[in-house]
Amino acid sequence: MKIRMMIIISVSVLAFGTSMVLGPRIINPFAMDGTSREIFFSIRAPRSVVAVLMGMALGASGAVLQGILRNPLADPYILGISSGASLSAAFGILGGFTFLGALTIPVLAFVGAIITGGIVGMMGWKRGGLWPERLLLAGVGLSFLFSALLMLMMSVSSDEGLRKATLWIFGDLSMSEWSRVPYGLIFVTTGIVISVARAKALNALILGDEFAHSLGFAPHRERVLLFVSVGLMTAASVSLGGMIGFVGLLVPHMIRFFMGSDSKALLPASALGGGALLCIADLISRSVLPPMELPAGVITAIIGSPYFLYLLRRRNVLGI
Amino acid sequence: MTEILFALGLGDRIVGVTSFCDYPPEAKKKPKIGGMSNPSLEAVVSLKPDIVVMTTDGNPKEFEERLRSLKIKTYVFWGRQISELPQGLREMGTALGVKEKADTLAKEIEESLDRLKRKHRGYQKRKILFVVWPEPLIVAGSGSIAHEAITILGGENIAAKAATSYPKYSLEEILRQSPDIIFIGKGMDKEMDKVSQGFLGRLRNAPAVRNKNVFFVNEYLYRLGPRTMKGIEELAMYMER
Repeated sequence: MKIRMMIIISVSVLAFGTSMVLGPRIINPFAMDGTSREIFFSIRAPRSVVAVLMGMALGASGAVLQGILRNPLADPYILGISSGASLSAAFGILGGFTFLGALTIPVLAFVGAIITGGIVGMMGWKRGGLWPERLLLAGVGLSFLFSALLMLMMSVSSDEGLRKATLWIFGDLSMSEWSRVPYGLIFVTTGIVISVARAKALNALILGDEFAHSLGFAPHRERVLLFVSVGLMTAASVSLGGMIGFVGLLVPHMIRFFMGSDSKALLPASALGGGALLCIADLISRSVLPPMELPAGVITAIIGSPYFLYLLRRRNVLGI
Repeated sequence: MTEILFALGLGDRIVGVTSFCDYPPEAKKKPKIGGMSNPSLEAVVSLKPDIVVMTTDGNPKEFEERLRSLKIKTYVFWGRQISELPQGLREMGTALGVKEKADTLAKEIEESLDRLKRKHRGYQKRKILFVVWPEPLIVAGSGSIAHEAITILGGENIAAKAATSYPKYSLEEILRQSPDIIFIGKGMDKEMDKVSQGFLGRLRNAPAVRNKNVFFVNEYLYRLGPRTMKGIEELAMYMER
């Protein structure tokens, strides 16, 4: 297990480094002229850091959610958090709000995400605890509602803001800058720390509330903690760069094939795997058709899905 | 389209426009028949138009076919580039029975294009970037009207290599190509200068930003029509500095 963890760590570090050095053009970090240095430090480095943070948040929260909802199809976006963020961001883009300068849209998205998370939490609350099925259904319901509102807003607006809003929702890392890193770092780290600290409880919850109870965990309290960690991570990731599909749903499964399903290893490994995948996907998205850039979410799905399907054919999933 | 019809003196004969038709101001008072890409067939039919003027650039082709199957006459304007504008106007004038007016307008456009081309031939070639939206970064690539305008004025659009009209563009490529002038389209009454702050901050070492050659221009170059020339002249004014 330790060796496998080391492999994942090395792959992530390698992915992170590669994504800064390679690109539409290769930059040798040991021999840079003025322009290259500027590109390296103020464009590529923040971009790779943001990609890692987002990927980590998505990978880890996917793994946690699949556990607390006991549903292999759960991904961080299923709770409606991302549609709340998108709605609020699109509102900001179409309304042309600029009260916080360049941080306006990310902050609006974050606020939208947290509010939505709160609503989903309230709807999932019954008889002094959070119930997985209620959470799931509340999330799906809200996310339909918000997507519909978003579509409504887009169909009645005659503005060109529309196209930008669409692009934003599909995930965009191209404008990542250092100013977004600190809050991203704070929320993502907090989320990961909480979830990893409660990994044992998550293991027990997966086996059932009664089982968790008999092991001395309070199922409802653990679920709330884990839910909060997912909310923070998802909100931070959507606010950093919009919605990137695939990572949250399938990275945890891929890691499970590789590491097994003990949450203590699964959570950090999913975070690292998500970060690595997004770094590489972003690298590809800006390198295949230069000087144009493609949405990173498209690439994560294109490279990730075939690999996932291959694993699915070869391995047993969920004991089947 | 509405803009061209007004310029051809047909404004009072327009019975309906799309919700995108916001110029001239009188156009906004006309009954709406839906969006540019999703007009309502019912609304159009109920207005009983003699002819429906459409464009290949935005109106769906199926819609035109539906109209014809309902025996409603249509005219489709095919021009998409500045170079096609005069000829397109002439044909449209003939089809709508305002040939003389259209010919005059077309001639005016041709003349001012020639004048600008000649004037700018002697200028030193400068590297130009036309930004449509700063975050995410969308610029005018080859195929866009702004690109054509820049080329007519003897400038080099640094985003010309991108295959589409309005590509999502790489920030590092802009830094590498170091544009001399950056134009930012103002869009519709948005505070574009504020929206662009972050973007321009990141390009602070590009010659255009360092030498304060960043200009916010009107939205004339987003649509082909009578105001396109104004848009070119606006770019020319800044490029002549």
